[in-house]
Order: sequence, then C-alpha cells, then structure tokens
Amino acid sequence: MNLDARDPWDELLRETLQRDVAAASDSLAGLENRVVERLGDRSPRRGFLGSLKALVAPTRGARWGQLTVVGATACACLLLGLFFGGRFPFAQHAQSALLGEAPATAKSVATRSPVGNGVLFMLPAKDAKVVSVVGSFSEWEPIPLSDDNHDGIWTTEIPLAPGRYEYAFIIDGRWFGQDPSADEYVRSFGEYSSVRYVGGGDGA
Amino acid sequence: MYRTQDEVSLLRAALGGETAAWGEIVMRYKDAVFGLCLGFLRNRADAEDIAQDAFIRAYVNLRRYNLERKFSTWVFTIAANLCRNRLRYRRNHPVMEVDFEFEGGADPARTVVHEERQARVRKALSALPYTYRAPLVLRFYNDLAYKEIGDILAIPEGTVKTRIHRGKAMLKEKFGEERDLA
Repeated sequence: MNLDARDPWDELLRETLQRDVAAASDSLAGLENRVVERLGDRSPRRGFLGSLKALVAPTRGARWGQLTVVGATACACLLLGLFFGGRFPFAQHAQSALLGEAPATAKSVATRSPVGNGVLFMLPAKDAKVVSVVGSFSEWEPIPLSDDNHDGIWTTEIPLAPGRYEYAFIIDGRWFGQDPSADEYVRSFGEYSSVRYVGGGDGA
Repeated sequence: MYRTQDEVSLLRAALGGETAAWGEIVMRYKDAVFGLCLGFLRNRADAEDIAQDAFIRAYVNLRRYNLERKFSTWVFTIAANLCRNRLRYRRNHPVMEVDFEFEGGADPARTVVHEERQARVRKALSALPYTYRAPLVLRFYNDLAYKEIGDILAIPEGTVKTRIHRGKAMLKEKFGEERDLA
C-alpha cells in the first residue's frame, strides 16, 4: 500500500505512533490472558434467530413431533378462544349451560328494544357492588342499576323519547363506556361513551 | 494448538465457546487495537482498558460478525466506538490530565534532534481534535485505506481524505517547523 511515503511528515508521524506503542509494551504483555480470564466460561451471545434455532429440536423426526405438539396446542387454544369468545353459533348456549345461567333471558335483555315505556339498560357485572348509568338523558347524573336476583346482571329501565343518547356505565366508581349492546361509540376527553338511538331518532 | 490455525478456524472455534481460540485472536490483533486506542485516547491506562473491553465486546457479540467481512475492520470499529465513548465521558467527567509521555528509553540509533521532533509531534497530536486525530492514527499507525477508515469512523471516504489533509496541516501549524523537515 502506498501511504504517501514521499512526505517526510507522514514518516515522522508513523514512526512516532509506532514508538508510542513500543514504549507501552508492558501494557500489551499478557493482554490476551487478561481477556480470556475476564471472559471465564462465557460464550458469544446468541442473536434473536440463534435463540429461536436453539428452541427447535435437532433431528427431523423430533422436529415433526415438536411441530405436531405446537400445532395441536395452537389449535386447541384457538378453538377455546372462539368458544369463549362466543363466535360459534352454539357457543353461548353451551357456555350458559356450563355456567348455569339462563341464556335466553340474558340475550333478550341485551337488546335495545324499549320495554313498556322505557328503554332497558343491562350490564353483566358479576362481582360489582354498585352499578349506575350516566348519560345525556340524565344530564350525566348517575341512575342506579339493580341486581335483585343476584345473578350478576344489572338492569334499569329509563323512559326515553325518540332520539340519540350518549351514555356510559359506572361500575364501582370506574367508567365503562363501551356497552356491547350500543349502536356506536364516541370518544371524547380520552374516554369512550356508548351511543344508542331510540325509536330511530337522531337527536337527543 | 491454536498458533498455526487460520483466522476463520479460530473464529469458528471461538463461536463454539473456546475462549482459548479467542486468546489467539487477541494475540494477533492486540498491537493494532492497542495502538489505535493509544493514538485516539493519548493515555496509556485508558488505552489498555479500552483495548481489553473491545476484545471482550467483540467476543460476546461475535455472532453479529459476518465472516465474509474483514475481521480487523470489525474489531477496529468496536474499539473506535469505545474510544469515542471514553473521550465523551472524559469531557463530562474531567480529571487531572496526565500528559502522554514517551518512556521508551534511549535509542542510540536515533539522533537527539529526531527524538526531539518525535516528542513535538506527539505533543501536537495530543492537542489535535479527535475528529482529525482519529483518521491520522488509522492511516499512519494502522496502515488502512481511506475506504476502510471511513467504514470504521462512519464517515464518507471523501471526508476521510479531507480530514487527513487538514489534520496534517494543523499538525504542521502546531509544530511550526515545517521547513526543517522539508
């Protein structure tokens, strides 16, 4: 490599740097031993892919077995998720049977149909102590829900004229703005509220 | 056992956790890495610390090294980054500076004038900003090409050339005896 050897400055610089290192040879002596000593039993760190590879079985047969077990577990989790998420048509009936609940009643109160002169607000909250509903129909003042038969389903009926109403439930002092039986949700001041249209109205 | 092995075999052995193979790698590169650190930091104790750290970090992160690339460039990059961090730390935590002094003893083959010139170059180099000193060290101590220096310092090749040219001019300016050497 040609390193501009014609310039005497370059040569002087090179010699100076080399002499500095030569003069510090005692710092260099045994450096490799000190490094090895500090490393001890450490091995080079595995990268992300390396860590993944380490999880995979070493032989093809074992890998198939591993794959089968992982696949079966994933399928079981998926089916359980779908089952408890209520995505299967029979899931709610089966869940209710398992939990000893009365599904037909629960389903019917979840609808937003007016009952009598009022609109029924229903919320399943099994361990709740106090549940109320606040909304544009009450100037956002709480209206208590009750659970007389202690089945965890809290209800109240509020007479409402046709129109659009924003509301949310308060469960033991905590805001619950996403009623599953709402028509839509709106977000204001960082919190969700539910919206319900009564009698096809569009203004509260 | 490892003395006769080529670099790639040593690196593969080190990847398998053989620290003794890494020891041989350290043996082969310690002059270059220590020289780089000493040139950058201008302090022997710091250079020794950082050179050790550079080899330890390189070993721990060895799986990140691509065997197709030049190993020296990779190790020099680690060392250069550690030096830069140490200089930054020094700037924020100033300690009493100890002048870098040459303690090589008398060399009868060299004239007193030559010794004196080297001492003055040493002093001028220490006073040079890091951005100019680093490329000069890599060029004139480590004998690297502009492209490689650029890879290590993460700057374009053109900038390396400019900094080396400007660094030399600043050295000459500090030295103040350009005509004596010409």
